[in-house]
Amino acid sequence: MKKYEVLEHKADLKIRAFGKTKEELFQNMLLGMSESQKPEIKDNKKTERKIKIKSLNPLSLLVDFLSEILYFNQINKEIYSNVDFIRFTDTELEARLAGRKVERLGEDIKAVTYHNLDVHQKKDKTWEAIVLFDV
Amino acid sequence: MKKSDFIKINDSLWEIPKGFRSDMRVAARAYVSEIMLESALRDKSLDQLVNVASLPGIVNYSLAMPDMHEGYGFPIGGVAAMDIKSGVISPGGVGYDINCGMRLLKSDYKEEEIRNYLEGLAIEIQKEVPSGLGRGRQIKLDAASINKILERGAQRVVEQGYGEKEDLESCESNGRLPQADASLVSDHAKNRGRDQVGTLGSGNHFLEIQKVDEVFDGKTAEIFGLFLEQVVIMIHTGSRGLGHQIATDYIRVMMGTMDKYGIRLPDRELAACPINSPEGQKYLSAMAAGANYAWANRQTIAHFVRKAWRSVLGEKSTNLTTVYDVAHNIAKIEKHEIEGETLELCLHRKGATRAFPPSHPEVPQKYRAVGQPVLIPGSMGTASYVLVGVNTGRDAFFSTNHGAGRTMSRHEATRRVSGQNLLKELKSKGIIVKCWNLRGIAEEAPMAYKNVDDVVGVVHNAGLSKKVVKLKPLAVIKGE
Repeated sequence: MKKYEVLEHKADLKIRAFGKTKEELFQNMLLGMSESQKPEIKDNKKTERKIKIKSLNPLSLLVDFLSEILYFNQINKEIYSNVDFIRFTDTELEARLAGRKVERLGEDIKAVTYHNLDVHQKKDKTWEAIVLFDV
Repeated sequence: MKKSDFIKINDSLWEIPKGFRSDMRVAARAYVSEIMLESALRDKSLDQLVNVASLPGIVNYSLAMPDMHEGYGFPIGGVAAMDIKSGVISPGGVGYDINCGMRLLKSDYKEEEIRNYLEGLAIEIQKEVPSGLGRGRQIKLDAASINKILERGAQRVVEQGYGEKEDLESCESNGRLPQADASLVSDHAKNRGRDQVGTLGSGNHFLEIQKVDEVFDGKTAEIFGLFLEQVVIMIHTGSRGLGHQIATDYIRVMMGTMDKYGIRLPDRELAACPINSPEGQKYLSAMAAGANYAWANRQTIAHFVRKAWRSVLGEKSTNLTTVYDVAHNIAKIEKHEIEGETLELCLHRKGATRAFPPSHPEVPQKYRAVGQPVLIPGSMGTASYVLVGVNTGRDAFFSTNHGAGRTMSRHEATRRVSGQNLLKELKSKGIIVKCWNLRGIAEEAPMAYKNVDDVVGVVHNAGLSKKVVKLKPLAVIKGE
């Protein structure tokens, strides 16, 4: 199963991610966002962070999750490729992030937007989401 | 949407009447040529323009400037004025990069006088002005210093020695919006801003050494201090991560409170609250703080450009002075005359810049007789323009576009253009390019944008602003 793909968009970055479960969908969208920032990894030393999110609704949960990690990327100069969910409900989540220090990020993602945001479960029960990032 | 849905007002103005969709409160108008209209029909920008026309309190028209293209919520190049008594304010009408804008510095030299120093200047400027995506500026400001910048903008950094009082006189709003309140800006936002004052960012943000290539209006050019062959420096950047975080925070706030005010919108990204509501007022003050940070950022960059200038040309070289500094992602409370009555309006300009006419009280005294300088950057390696605000801009609330406008995705650009070939092409035109990332160059290839000469032609013919000079790039610097 494909993890994510970058879709055409005139000025910004549009990512479609997939997952067998909603958790995997979140993980794969995170991977898409992380790789799109073109990180230059500093060294192999691993870092770990914890996040806790509470959102207005299930759609916002994905945006809030990605926004919080984007904040961590920029503040800690780290990139996260793996997320381990401790708690995951429709509007709340708690997770451990595994990442690495970066020398620099080649792309500055400004924000995670709600524009044409789509999160849905398909007929085959797998999940799909589309998120537009402002770059 | 089809071309037949539009009424042609004239060659550069097209209208979608109010009756086109039942939720429209006003008509939507696009300042475009027929060819540009056909191109705009290929993306969602015109639907977005119609969505904006449905926002409560919108006055006259929902407007799009000639560089319009699809954004999120509002189209890029969108202008909307809301009555402050009955209207809403929308962070989506400002954009994530609060007070992204332009600053133009002028020198006393002609190109021939500094031709031999150009390469050195480009290298030194690149060294002095980092992108902030890597090591940053190595200066991490504490909370108290960030708060002072948020509340006092460019004025704060000038007091600290990063520039001169004259710079502030040449800044929109003197580089400071007084309603800013740092206590309404989250710690997340402040943390993102701590090491980014004086950094350029990525994407289409740039610094260019340019020369005045053509003068259209000699009298106005003289008042702006511009002359043929003169070397000038253009700075394009905004409020960096701090502004992006303020937008993210307040879109979330507004999405959670819209229901309370009975606001229903066709697109979540338009999330809005009444201007007079506590949430609306808080956003206005937080956005003003973000705008102040951006003015401080461009002021600090100007300082480091001057430092590079002196170190290459020598201490005896004459200084660079600010022609003008103007925002193109901002909401401002302005007074406008509507049907003979002066109304206070909240002007959203997203990817659009103000363009005040002669005699307007907010135009600096030294330019007041001719009007406000309007700065329109072209895409990398192409021309940029200085225009001047005119009285005929009234119908557009004295606004003008902010650039050329993209026509191609970054992806498509990198597929069709190699950074290496583009570098060669620019070099063959005599343009020096300093950029750490070849891909970043390809993404900003001129072919990914509309032709800036055509866009500015529409601006001029539509009477939004009048051409003063055309600028040609000599060196492009893109961070770090």
